[in-house]
Amino acid sequence: MTTNAPAGNLATTGVVPGFPTATRVVARGSTVLALLGALAMWLALLGPFAVLIQHLSFHSIRAALGPPGALDPLWVSLGASAIALGAMVLLGTPLAYLLARGRLPLARIVELGIILPLMLPPLVIGLLLIFLIGPQGTLGSLLADIHLTGTNTFFALVVAEFYEAAPFYVLGAHAAFASVDPRIEQDATLLGDRPLQAFRRITLPLSAPGLATGLATAWARAIGAFGAVIIVAYYPRGLPNQIFVGFQEFGLSGSLPFALLLVVAALPLPILAYLWSARNRARVAGAEAP
Amino acid sequence: MIATSATLLAVDLEVQRRQVTVRAGFELDAGERLAIFGTSGAGKTTILESIAGLVRLGRGTVRIDGQLVAGAAQHESPLPPRSRHVALVRQPTTLFPHLTVEQNVGYGVRRSPHTTRVAELLDRLGLTSLARARGAALSGGQRQRVALGRALASPFRVLLLDEPLSAVDVAAREPLRALAVETAADRNAVGILVTHDLTEAQAFGDQLGIIDAGRLLQLGGAHEVVLSPASRRVAELVGYGGFVAVPDRTSAWFAVHPDRIVLGAAPERGVVLTGTVLSTRPFGPRYECSVRAASGEQFSVHLDEAPGSGFECTVTALDPPVVAD
Repeated sequence: MTTNAPAGNLATTGVVPGFPTATRVVARGSTVLALLGALAMWLALLGPFAVLIQHLSFHSIRAALGPPGALDPLWVSLGASAIALGAMVLLGTPLAYLLARGRLPLARIVELGIILPLMLPPLVIGLLLIFLIGPQGTLGSLLADIHLTGTNTFFALVVAEFYEAAPFYVLGAHAAFASVDPRIEQDATLLGDRPLQAFRRITLPLSAPGLATGLATAWARAIGAFGAVIIVAYYPRGLPNQIFVGFQEFGLSGSLPFALLLVVAALPLPILAYLWSARNRARVAGAEAP
Repeated sequence: MIATSATLLAVDLEVQRRQVTVRAGFELDAGERLAIFGTSGAGKTTILESIAGLVRLGRGTVRIDGQLVAGAAQHESPLPPRSRHVALVRQPTTLFPHLTVEQNVGYGVRRSPHTTRVAELLDRLGLTSLARARGAALSGGQRQRVALGRALASPFRVLLLDEPLSAVDVAAREPLRALAVETAADRNAVGILVTHDLTEAQAFGDQLGIIDAGRLLQLGGAHEVVLSPASRRVAELVGYGGFVAVPDRTSAWFAVHPDRIVLGAAPERGVVLTGTVLSTRPFGPRYECSVRAASGEQFSVHLDEAPGSGFECTVTALDPPVVAD
């Protein structure tokens, strides 16, 4: 049998008969362009961090953070964010689990309720929170009965951070629980586990990487919350407020040290959570136990 | 359905699943094994999941050791799966992916006289060298061995197996099946296997149930059901490949099984049929011939030698059961 194909085959020449060389050049060029685009995106995202380091000096940091009480915003932010995060875990975990297992009626409506705070601008959330928990608000008088005030208090700061960050945790936890096959949980109960035991021994370890990522994202959102916070909790002053006030009063030199402080306070948990999640996922997918 | 005192498992259930309403009723004494055979989607898995407590009954009851564990009525609140002493191997296999093989097998081990030692089980399952591996590193067959081991190590009274060896090499299935049978016998437990492999079903069960479109069509001795199918549909399902009309009777058929035919006329052994070979194809070490009977029906026959197409043959179907539509 004779053919018109050129001598050699694909394995030896790397050329597909009839497949034009120009097409391969275009394909290779597209790959290079995509890589350059990805690199540019990565650098653009890192840009602000690079600038922050570049414009800070040891002198300006000492001047801003040295005086007594200068670190108070840090402690306020850490405390409020930790409490807000605790509340998210306590209230958000059952909600995310029940939603992921389809055990809630009107699930779509419930999901919408979780997403709604994400769609509202934080400033608007702040305004609405005044109506909700402010002294004249719907819940304000009830809160007053237990000696809580919904504006310009530590409690108000926690609430504002909760509203800005909780949807991130609930959505992350929902995705984490949904990734665990419910049949595996059933297997655990068939082997003698009570539902809570199965949750602790099976669901929690398997969803932990996703939960950690959701928790870390929520932490970063809570400690950096500003829009709602500045409306309902101008005092006590947390780090984002301090950065804003420092910028207004002293310009960049007065705000950048606090920005660094905020980054240092906010970032370790997300980074650790990311590294732990990646390691844990690899461990579960891997062949051998450590 | 009233269970006798020796009855360990009494099932009388109706469950609505997607397009099929599954209905089944049977009783098993301690130590008995039932294989449920049927096509995919017939409702086999639903029966197992109902016994295990993973599916709510639409009607009926499930009793284990005389105790009502599931019922459809409001006052018959089901016993949770963890309290039923039921072990289930599912299809597709589900393992705990964050745990090692050893931890998976030992997961349900509680302090119980029924508990088999995990190390011994791993050895018999051929998993000792993989004891510290996780699920992701295992092949389909190895995963099924782990799932079987996990079930056998638990303190079960009812062992439910849903196609448990489908991914295991055929040659390696027998010792695993024997291990399951032996463990169930040691515990004086009942075992139920569902499968669409008739050989597998007969190898496991003292009793064989045939299920089709949600209905348990026939239940009886594992060999008896195959030799005496109750209907044409049962006969089709258990491998009868041809149906020849019974003379002078309407809607009655001799069910012809390709492995229960001998060449030549032997009227004292069964029904003599004549026909023409239409085609022949290899079938394991033998040949499967498609034959058109003189009366017009078609049937298959397994022969040691391959006749050519158009070959006129006379065969005897050995004691063919008579079935109705």
